[in-house]
Amino acid sequence: MKKHVLPGFGLTLGFSLVYLSLIVLIPFAALFLKTASGGWQHFWETVTSPRVVASYQVSFGISLLAALVNGVFGVIAAWVLVRYRFPGRRILDAIVDLPFALPTAVAGIALTALYAPNEWIGQYLKPMGIQIAYTRLGIFVALTFIGLPFVVRTVQPVIQDLVAEVEEAAACLGANRWHTFRRVIFPALLPSILTGVTLAYGRAVGEYGSVVFISGNLPFKTEITPLMIITKLEQYDYSGAAAIGFVMLAASFLILIVSNSLQSWNNKRHGIS
Amino acid sequence: MSITISNVSKSFSRYPALNGVSIGIATGELIALLGPSGSGKTTLLRLIAGLEFPDNGGTVSFGERDVTSLSAYKRRAGFVFQHYALFAHMSVFENIAFAFRVLPRRKRPPESAIRERVDTLLDAVQLAGYEKRLPSQLSGGQRQRVAFARALAIEPEVLLLDEPFGALDAKVRKDLRRWLREFHHRIQLTTIFVTHDQDEAFEVADRVVLIDQGVLQQSGTPHAVRSNPANDFVRDFLDLPHK
Amino acid sequence: MAGASTLYLRSSTPPRRATAESPVARAVLIGIALVFLGLFLFLPLVVVFQEAFSKGAAAFFQAFQDPFTRSAIWLTLLVAVIVVPLNTLFGLAAAWSLTRFRFRGRSFLVTLIDLPLWVSPVIGGLIYMLVFGARGWFGPWLRENDIRIIFAVPGIVLATVFVTFPFVARGLIPLMEAQGLKEEEAALTLGANGWQIFRRVTLPKIKWGLLYGVILCNARAMGEFGAVSVVSGHIRGKTTTMPLQIEILYNEYQFAAAFAVASLLALLAIVTLFLKTYAEWRADRQLREASL
Repeated sequence: MKKHVLPGFGLTLGFSLVYLSLIVLIPFAALFLKTASGGWQHFWETVTSPRVVASYQVSFGISLLAALVNGVFGVIAAWVLVRYRFPGRRILDAIVDLPFALPTAVAGIALTALYAPNEWIGQYLKPMGIQIAYTRLGIFVALTFIGLPFVVRTVQPVIQDLVAEVEEAAACLGANRWHTFRRVIFPALLPSILTGVTLAYGRAVGEYGSVVFISGNLPFKTEITPLMIITKLEQYDYSGAAAIGFVMLAASFLILIVSNSLQSWNNKRHGIS
Repeated sequence: MSITISNVSKSFSRYPALNGVSIGIATGELIALLGPSGSGKTTLLRLIAGLEFPDNGGTVSFGERDVTSLSAYKRRAGFVFQHYALFAHMSVFENIAFAFRVLPRRKRPPESAIRERVDTLLDAVQLAGYEKRLPSQLSGGQRQRVAFARALAIEPEVLLLDEPFGALDAKVRKDLRRWLREFHHRIQLTTIFVTHDQDEAFEVADRVVLIDQGVLQQSGTPHAVRSNPANDFVRDFLDLPHK
Repeated sequence: MAGASTLYLRSSTPPRRATAESPVARAVLIGIALVFLGLFLFLPLVVVFQEAFSKGAAAFFQAFQDPFTRSAIWLTLLVAVIVVPLNTLFGLAAAWSLTRFRFRGRSFLVTLIDLPLWVSPVIGGLIYMLVFGARGWFGPWLRENDIRIIFAVPGIVLATVFVTFPFVARGLIPLMEAQGLKEEEAALTLGANGWQIFRRVTLPKIKWGLLYGVILCNARAMGEFGAVSVVSGHIRGKTTTMPLQIEILYNEYQFAAAFAVASLLALLAIVTLFLKTYAEWRADRQLREASL
């Protein structure tokens, strides 16, 4: 008995599956097999070596900080873009997506140029003893740039759909603006904020191009985990590279699961409001 | 064209929408499939149309022909969707002409013949002069009639309407009901329409088929059903007194 | 990319004026937002162009006389011309199969399509090294038959395909999901075959969503750095794309030249933003019209 009414099922699904197998499934199988083929000892040694562990601190730790900062300022930015009218608002709104559109290498050298000791912003901070480029602070700046659109774009539609009457009701009941925000608006936004932060985090953890220029790549200080993978490859230690890749993949997977659960929580809440 | 549905069932991922339904419909009858939402009436309509296929066992026949495994077009079943499903980017003319445009080259009539056919159809639904309009420029009732004309373009043997007047306001609904009855009288095409509105069903149809929870409850002329309700569901649904 | 999945659900009625914040609070918030966005978005963009012209206009144009830079631009274009149509084809096929039919494993596939957005681009290069590299699965066989994939253009194409294949699909899937398939079913009842349904009914419905996805796919394909960096081998004149060439110039302290090339890509980014915003707006409008 014919199963599908519209035509093209076999053709389109078949093509998609072949494509995905060739581009994704088979290469990832290679990753898993290569990790295994190196043996447990080599795997463990690689992923727990001090230099690599230091890179975890950088990649996973600083990404979290950057994501949290984006969480705070991204909400403010989203609020301002939705609720207020001011000249240049439209352009600003469009530019929020710049980190999506701008090649990471371009962002990388631009940020370095901004924050290097004798440059644009860096020069003002130098006398204060603050150095941004070639330090973890620089990595933080780059990762904040990268994650910026995620929070703003996730929170914006939720703010847009906030029902005015709820805020007005709160006001009629005597709440001042801050109270209204804390007890009415913020809880409504929280799921989307968390989703956005998680997305920003996931992106920042794997980021390479925007970071490698401003970081300076000092071992144990400012090396990111993706760079460790490249280093291993350059040493022809394929299974070592695969091992670190495996760890990154596992971390990304975890973050993906958290993000998906947050997103379904967000959708449920959002649907109700 | 008479229709025979024999023991059709349909489940959607373990949800049983239809359970062993059998109906016979005579040529030229105007039938209403009546029931509450979720009763399976739309699924039944789509099964007749060829937009769904029954689970193993059931058959659908048009006249002598077993059409169970044939797709909608091959059955020559005209279908009018609940929200019209007009092609938003095409004019009224192009919507109605669509059926001609997609014919294989050797069967396709020349442009002048297409024009003639479309004009005839527009006249039949009283929308002459609206050729160049886009669906977004039409009222609900007008879109409905374009959907009719479009379905009739294939010269169907059976006409199937899914809640044809559901999305319209009361006055337009009344007018279109009358129009449908009169239209059916004119063209004498076997017609089945789905509705949850009993007034509509009783006013328009020759025969009413009541369905609930995927099971056929009763089938008969409006008068017969009202005077002899078969079970409690029918009594409740039609607000008839219990014994 | 959260933006794509909430793209078509964003309402665009003007925000209702609830009780308003005090003018002071308002000004402070706007100030914070402007500083934050300005600092992180505007400044980097401005820097690129400023640095590009820091040695004068003549030096700017001189940068593009360099044969290695030219071949980098050529290679970037070549890769985009191959990758974007391939991924568009995939996006259309995947969107059709995922939104027009229901089958087991469907949601797994949807998640799988998002995968490249979640993993580091370096992993995107790593996996092809493991398959085609000298110590990879096919390494010895490729060497025997003198076929070059890693450290050659095919490898770059593969890595770029991996990193960019979600974009067209993600632009289409929520759109086609939201639009529903009633028009396609109507066309089916009127006698159209699969190709006719796609060309006459579906394509006009999705054209702006399609364009949106293609624009993003192209931007990412031309700008990809991490994945390509792993597989390219950085062979000047042969396997450097524009982002890699920027890195080379930068590491050689040819800053003005590096920024000159970067400014081209930055210009592409700005154009991309405009086109994308327009396509997004049109797709939104088309979706709302369809639900009339």
